[in-house]
This record gives sequence, C-alpha cells and structure tokens, in this order.
Amino acid sequence: MTRYLMTRLFYFFLALLVLSVVTFSLNWLFPGDPLTNMSGIRDGQAAYNATLESRAFDSTVIQQYVNYLAHITQFDWGLSLSTGNDVWQDAATYLVVSAELVLLSFALAVLIGLPLGMLAANYFRHNLDKFILTSAMTGYSIPVFWLAQLLILLFAVQIEWLPITGQINPLYAIDSITGSVIIDILLSDSQYKLAALQDALLHLVLPVLTLSSLPSMLLLRITRNQTIEVLQKPYVKAARARGLSQKRLLFKHALPNVLQDVLPQMTFIFGLMMANLVIVEHIFNWPGAGAWLLKAIIERDYPIIQMVLFTLMGLILVLNLLVEIYRGWRFPMTREERYGGY
Amino acid sequence: MDLLDIRNLTIEMDGPHGRVRVLDKVSLQLKEGEVHSLVGESGSGKSLLAKAVIGVLNPLWDVTADRLWWNGKDLLAMTPKQRRAITGRDMAMIFQDPLAYLDPNSTVAEQITEAIPAGDVTGTFMHRRIDRKTRVAQLLHRVGIRDHDAIMKSYPYELSEGIAQKVSIAIAIAHRPKLLIADEPTTAMEPSTKDQIQRLLGKLAVSQSMSVLLITQDVASILPATQRVSLLYCGQMMEHGDTETVLNRPAHPYTDAMIKMSLQAHAELEPKSKLPSLPGAVPTLRHMPIGCRLGPRCPYAQKQCVKAPLVRHRDEQSYYCHFPLNEPEA
Repeated sequence: MTRYLMTRLFYFFLALLVLSVVTFSLNWLFPGDPLTNMSGIRDGQAAYNATLESRAFDSTVIQQYVNYLAHITQFDWGLSLSTGNDVWQDAATYLVVSAELVLLSFALAVLIGLPLGMLAANYFRHNLDKFILTSAMTGYSIPVFWLAQLLILLFAVQIEWLPITGQINPLYAIDSITGSVIIDILLSDSQYKLAALQDALLHLVLPVLTLSSLPSMLLLRITRNQTIEVLQKPYVKAARARGLSQKRLLFKHALPNVLQDVLPQMTFIFGLMMANLVIVEHIFNWPGAGAWLLKAIIERDYPIIQMVLFTLMGLILVLNLLVEIYRGWRFPMTREERYGGY
Repeated sequence: MDLLDIRNLTIEMDGPHGRVRVLDKVSLQLKEGEVHSLVGESGSGKSLLAKAVIGVLNPLWDVTADRLWWNGKDLLAMTPKQRRAITGRDMAMIFQDPLAYLDPNSTVAEQITEAIPAGDVTGTFMHRRIDRKTRVAQLLHRVGIRDHDAIMKSYPYELSEGIAQKVSIAIAIAHRPKLLIADEPTTAMEPSTKDQIQRLLGKLAVSQSMSVLLITQDVASILPATQRVSLLYCGQMMEHGDTETVLNRPAHPYTDAMIKMSLQAHAELEPKSKLPSLPGAVPTLRHMPIGCRLGPRCPYAQKQCVKAPLVRHRDEQSYYCHFPLNEPEA
C-alpha cells in the first residue's frame, strides 16, 4: 500500500507541475499582448516599458516560470489586471459560491444516477429498464445551454414557479460572509431567515437541475452497464445459489463491485461538470468562479484565468487522488492489477 | 423417505429456433447421507438439474415435473421466498472455478462469516465478534486449512486454486446443509489437488452426515465414496443405480462407452489399438434426435430407438434402453 500511495502521490504532483506549465504559458499562447492591455494604448511606449519592468517581463522565460512557481506555491496569484485587486482574496468568495452549486449538483447526480442505474440493471431488458434508459439517452442528448433555456422558459416564464436568475432576492439583504448563500443565511441574524432560506433554495433549483442533468444521466448509464456485468459474474451466481434475496444480492454483493469501476468514472464526470459550470453560471447569473472566469477571459485578465483554471483542474486532480487512494485501500485487487501487488 | 425426489423433471426454453426441451423427463432420488454422482458430457443438462433443485433457473424457462420434492415438500408449489429459505438453510453448492466464484473484494473471513447463520452466534457485540472468528477458524480447519490466520485475511486473488476450492467448501458447509451439490469441483485441477478435494468431500459427507450430489464429466472422477451413480445424456437419463453394479455390468450402451473411455480402461487396451469413443458428436440444441437421443451415435441402435424407451429395472439398476447390454443368461 505504501508503494501504491507513493506512486499515486508522485503522479499527482507531476500532473500539478504540468498544469502549472500550461497555465503559465497562457500568456504566450493567447493572441495579443497582455502588457499593452495593462498599460493602455494611449499612454505609449513609456508606460509600456514601465509595466514591462514592474512585472519583470525582461527576464528569461525559465526565470519567469521559476518566479511564477515560487509565487503560486504561496498562493500569490498576483493582482488582477482589470481591477488591481489581489486575485487570491477575491477568489475565496467566488470559489465558495461555485462549490455550493457544484456540491449540490454532484450530490443530486449521484443520488439520481446510482440508484436508477441499479434499478434499471435489476430490471434488465424489462420495460422499466427500457424506459429509464430512453429517458437517460434523451437527458444527455440535450445540450446544457439549451436545457437551461427550456427550464427557464417552462418553470420561470410559463408557470412562474421559480425565479430566473441570481442567488437570492436582494431585498432580503443577507450579508455575504462566506459566499455560500445557505451558510450565509444560517449565520445572519435577519428576522426573515426562513423566508430567505426558502427563496435561496428556490433560486438554487434551476441551476442545480441543469448542472446535474448530464452527469446524472452519464452516471446512470455507467452504473447500469456495470451492474448488469457484475450481476452476471460467477460470484453473484454463487451468492444467489446460497438463497440470498435479490435485495441483499444487489446491495451486499453487487454494489461494492460496481463502485470499484464506477468511482474512477465519477472523477471524469466531475471534470465534465467543471466545464458546464462556466455555462450554467453565466446563464443563471450565478456569481461563482465559472462566471468570473468567463468575464476574465473576455477582459484578458490573465492572473484570474490562470488562478481559476489551475484551481478547478487542481480540484479534479485532488478528487482523482482521493478516489485512487480509497480504491486502493477498499479494493486491494486494483492495486494488484496495476502494480503487481504492493 | 427420500431427501430429494425428482420425477420426470422437464425443462423447456424458447431458443432462436423454436422450443427446445433441454431436460427430458429426468428422475432422480437422493437419500439422506447418500453420495450420488451425476455423470454426463458437457451440454447434457447436469448443471441445469442442479440449478433447478437450487431454484436459480432463468424464470423465463418452463419447469415441469411430476414431483420435485424436498423432504416431502413440493418445491415447485412454493413462492420464491419460501424456496430461498429452504435453499439457504438446507442446500449448498460449490462450483468448478472456485476463484471466480468468490467475491474478489471481500476477505475470506468476511465471506465465510456471511454464510454462518445469524442464529448461531449470540451474546453481546464483542462476544458475537469473537464467536464468529472462532467459528471461521473451525470451518477452515474442518476443510483442511491449517494456517487459518493468514488465509482469513487473504483476498481470493491471493489464493491458489486448491485453497480457494477448500474455502468455498467451508462457505458451503457453514450452515450445515443437508445437501451439498458439487458442480464439477475438480475439473481442470492438478491431480494432487483433485485428490485432496475429492477425499475432503468424501470425508465431509460422512462427518457432517450430509448428502452430496457430485456432478462430473467422466466416470473416472466420481468420488470413491459414491454409493449411487446416474448417467445423463442430452437431457435424458440413460441409466442409474448402485455404483458397483452400474460400473461392472452396465446395461446402457452409453454407460458402457463412458466406462471404456475412462482412463482406467485404457490400461487394458491392446498396443496400437484404437481408443474407444462414441462416433459423432453431442447434437446441438437445434437438432435434437427424436426418441432416444443417443440413437444416432449408438452402435446398437435399431429402428425401435426413435421411440423413447421406458424405464426398465434390473437388480440394483434402472436404465432407459430397448437393447440393454450384459443381460443375465436366461
């Protein structure tokens, strides 16, 4: 296990390093010159040179990369080019706002995908299975941006059950402390706490639904196929021959073995959610990291782009690492398969 | 009373080319404490018979029988739940490839513990824990595994085939079943392991006083302790009876061929003579012969054989053949 752990950690840090190279080279890969954007066109050469000097742009690329690494290891992502604020300090609230959305959506996706997938597999080739599978196919064929529009049209415009955009009705005057609305409401001493909470939850419904639709349907399909495969394995047959009920068979014998292969797919699905996060936050005017990233891209605000990209991708890597470690501990056979038993 | 009483068990399924009768009026009786061997080539329906008894057949197949009785109770009339209760309490099954039939993600201890009936261990939480552990160790000793501590912590992929089969036997006998069905437990095993497993099964049958239904492909690998033997071909019963009688004076041409094909018989062959075997191959499900299904391959077959023979009895054996061999001189 120690060796397995070391290998996983090594790959994790290697990936982080590669990631830092990618985010670092954004400055060069993108068209246009960030310095011109910063110094402004009208001020001319003098201002340009001043910025060049202040940002140490005259040193070699390697030197710059080492400097960059030294800074980001201390969470110093520099100052925003458009506002001049410290990026890392601004990021905290944006990231928490996004985390709330992502965690809720991921939880919903798992809650929908896993049980429905197992249910469909249990009724393999029956009508229920066909129905669930067809719905899943429809669900993940719809592009996220279009689904968002449809949901808004139906629930917000036509039947007016849910608000269109935003986190909460500003009239409730909840102070933003952590960034997460729900936690903020619970922390605040407003006398309309319950009403505010209800309002915030209503605001959450559409973004969470939209963001979780694709992952849940993907997860459903993966779980279904995996469960069908596991249910035909000899050890499940042996368990069935021991007179165990179908319920016990599914949860005690099939589920752990299904999870062994579904867990790594969850990291992949999480990555997919990160991509959709930008779209969903933009459509629903959600003040999170995704929308912030989009704004930064339009404004060519490189420190922000670098920071958000690095953090989002780093999160995926961390999740991947955690899943790998859990998998190596809970399912020792996977260790054996990959590294010949440590 | 017979522990297991099967009369005219028929299983039919809908294949891509129409309805196929995969098991055709098979009868089998098993007494308490009896070791019974069921011999037949692959595709003869041995495993189907076992699955029908355990109750894990595909629910889409038609299972009919004049009698499928367990201890005098009709298994076919039961609800799935009642059936599972009987299977879980009184029956157990072991399989050919033990490594594939053990859960790859649970330790040996976990898997054996699960098979121990809940009512067997009582007391406080810690008591139950310790009790379970000693029981697992006892079971492992009973199947001939000495270093129980190491084996208990192992996962199936860390075990050798012989040990894995012993572990699955330990799982099978954990709830003291009345019947152990062994589905080709020693096929594709090395001879020394094969011998060990066979002796273990014979020993357990006596010490646990349970019946064993052993399924094998050839007469050479039936258990030494076998009291009665049945031969199955293409879903039809060919012959059954007392082991000694059937193997020494086979009445059915199929039994005769199976005995001649077995390894011991080869020793008596003349040098350079042809190896005895039945001509042709086992028919596919699509082209089942009518009447006696051995007909096309049988060296003694005549016109009459297109009609299914009725059962005939001779001393300690019963057979289904129009032209039996080794008839006593009149």
